Amino acid sequence: MIQLQDVEKMYRGKVHALRGVSLEVMDGEIFGLLGPNGAGKSTLVKIIMTVIHATRVSGTLLEKPIGNRKILEDIGYLPEHHRFPYYLTGKQVLHHYAALANVSRKDRITRASSFLSRLGLNGWENKKVGSYSKGMLQRLGIAQALMNDPKLLVLDEPTDGVDPVGRREIRDLLAELRDEGRAVFLNSHLLSELEMVCDRVAIMVKGKVTMQGTIESLTQDSRRYEIETEESVPTWAKEVVDDVSEHLMVIRSDDPAIIQPILDRLRRDQITILSVKPVRENLEDLFMRAVDHTDTPGAVQ
Amino acid sequence: MQFKALLIDAYRQLSAAKLFWVTVGISVLVVVCYGSVGFNEQGISVLFGVWEIESEQLHSGSPWARGLYIGIFSSFLVKIWLAWIATILALISTCSIFPEFVHSGSIELTISKPIGRLKLFFSKYLVSLLFVVLQVAIFCLGIFICVGLRVGEWNPFIFTAIPIVATFFSYLFAVCVLVGILTRSGITALLITGVFWMALWSIQTSEGTLNRFVTEQHVSIERFNEGIDNAEKDLAEITEKSVDDFRIPKFEKRIETFNADIEESQELLGKLEQWHTPISWVLAISPKNAQTIGLLDRWLSDPDGFDIGAIMSGDMSSIEGEEVEEFDRTTRGARERETTRRLRDDYESRSLWYVIGTSLIFECVILGIASFYFCRKDF
Repeated sequence: MIQLQDVEKMYRGKVHALRGVSLEVMDGEIFGLLGPNGAGKSTLVKIIMTVIHATRVSGTLLEKPIGNRKILEDIGYLPEHHRFPYYLTGKQVLHHYAALANVSRKDRITRASSFLSRLGLNGWENKKVGSYSKGMLQRLGIAQALMNDPKLLVLDEPTDGVDPVGRREIRDLLAELRDEGRAVFLNSHLLSELEMVCDRVAIMVKGKVTMQGTIESLTQDSRRYEIETEESVPTWAKEVVDDVSEHLMVIRSDDPAIIQPILDRLRRDQITILSVKPVRENLEDLFMRAVDHTDTPGAVQ
Repeated sequence: MQFKALLIDAYRQLSAAKLFWVTVGISVLVVVCYGSVGFNEQGISVLFGVWEIESEQLHSGSPWARGLYIGIFSSFLVKIWLAWIATILALISTCSIFPEFVHSGSIELTISKPIGRLKLFFSKYLVSLLFVVLQVAIFCLGIFICVGLRVGEWNPFIFTAIPIVATFFSYLFAVCVLVGILTRSGITALLITGVFWMALWSIQTSEGTLNRFVTEQHVSIERFNEGIDNAEKDLAEITEKSVDDFRIPKFEKRIETFNADIEESQELLGKLEQWHTPISWVLAISPKNAQTIGLLDRWLSDPDGFDIGAIMSGDMSSIEGEEVEEFDRTTRGARERETTRRLRDDYESRSLWYVIGTSLIFECVILGIASFYFCRKDF
């Protein structure tokens, strides 16, 4: 769906926003792009959507070279901090942008009413967007991005300003879209949201992708068991486990068979086991680990 | 489909602006005032007959009535209302169209659609002229009906005001678009366009004034030479008859005065040319908005020779009907009449290519710069 290789963007020869970004988004998956402020996420999204010209880019988008305008007919896009014309109603917004995407009038009428209803904007379709709340504008933005029945949906901070109920609805919608075989490219700061919905993620730091893969594979190395004891950890433990503290033993493995002999031995030594926990990093831990070594946020000057 | 979408959007944007309706309201008021003037067998009726002025020349059916009525439209309503007041209102209404269009958060939604940036830019530009086209169309329709009802002439040429005023406005709007795209500020675009308009007006006024002086000097030199020829001829005839004729010194003095005047005119002409030549070159490559609006005057001119615009600018030839017989062609009055005639001929002989073609070239250059910037810009 998206194959990017070695994307570079230098702004006016001063700010190196992207430094050789390569990533791949496959059919029928939700792909999350995350990174700290100024990492270059929005720049990358804008390059995909031809809003920004890359200094260097190779790769394909829907099997056509990046920059091909024709393929934009099959891509839905919701930019961050989007502004719809204040003088249009919700329905007019959908019709206007869909007409620019070459959607026939018949399809516009059908889809507009379907998406307005699906995104909980019933009763607001004939009201000027100037009277919409932030969350409603986000919902309308997503509806706008869906109007051309896209194969690929690119959403930049789609849940920004949306309440928890709305977020859940959007998550469900994205899952439905994935099940229909569409790819969704998400750019968001909300790690918990991404974790719940993304099949794969990429973490960008200072214009480079530092990690990329399924959350499962990226957190593989962090899987461990933690055994908490009431008494002090016995001295033999230091030789059989990876890490020990006063009342805690850490075994770096996700295989439960490995911890069974250790539990047996603890019981033999009549040490009270308070808890045995399988532990795995969440996306936030992963993100923090990825950006931890960076000194300052922002792009490379 | 995409152009239609942009056109509908432009209409919605304009109709959402109060100023659009204020301008329409004033236009309708102007048309009603215009329509309130009529002619009957005794003379002119004003305010739908509230006030009547008796006139032998201006009454229903007289060619002067037609000339006056059409002349008020082409010389006053178009030049003052459409070319100044309505244009200022149109600039205020449209100056923020492009800055809002390229505003962050708005432009991404549009340029991420399958439409080329160049096509998008020019489509947006053309639909933005809708404000003026609609305003002038409403105005012209009203005038067309008034002229038809009042002087019985259903003149379709009145509608030529639509492309003329739209073209005139487009010269200024191109500058407004360029500044708006560069600065993303409607107020800055409006101010700089205002300054540009004033600069154009200054150039055209300077060129017009200098051209009058230059033409006047050319006419004077020609007429003085002619005077010398006539005086020398008369002198030769007198001298042939009698070398002691008392008129001989008078003629000699006259020739001497003409020579001095020619010398003075030539000196002045040289100085004037120093300024006139560069300014006329600047004018040649600048948009000629006054001359563009003036085309309407030319195309609607009265076949019977009544030209209210010319009368107001001091050219009475349309009233006098035929060339005034000049007893002495070297007098100041005769020279001024000749200067005015030549200026009018010069102005009317300026081709459509010179008036509109060169202005459109300027506009294309400005739009070329703006579109290049728009196409290359990272939003």
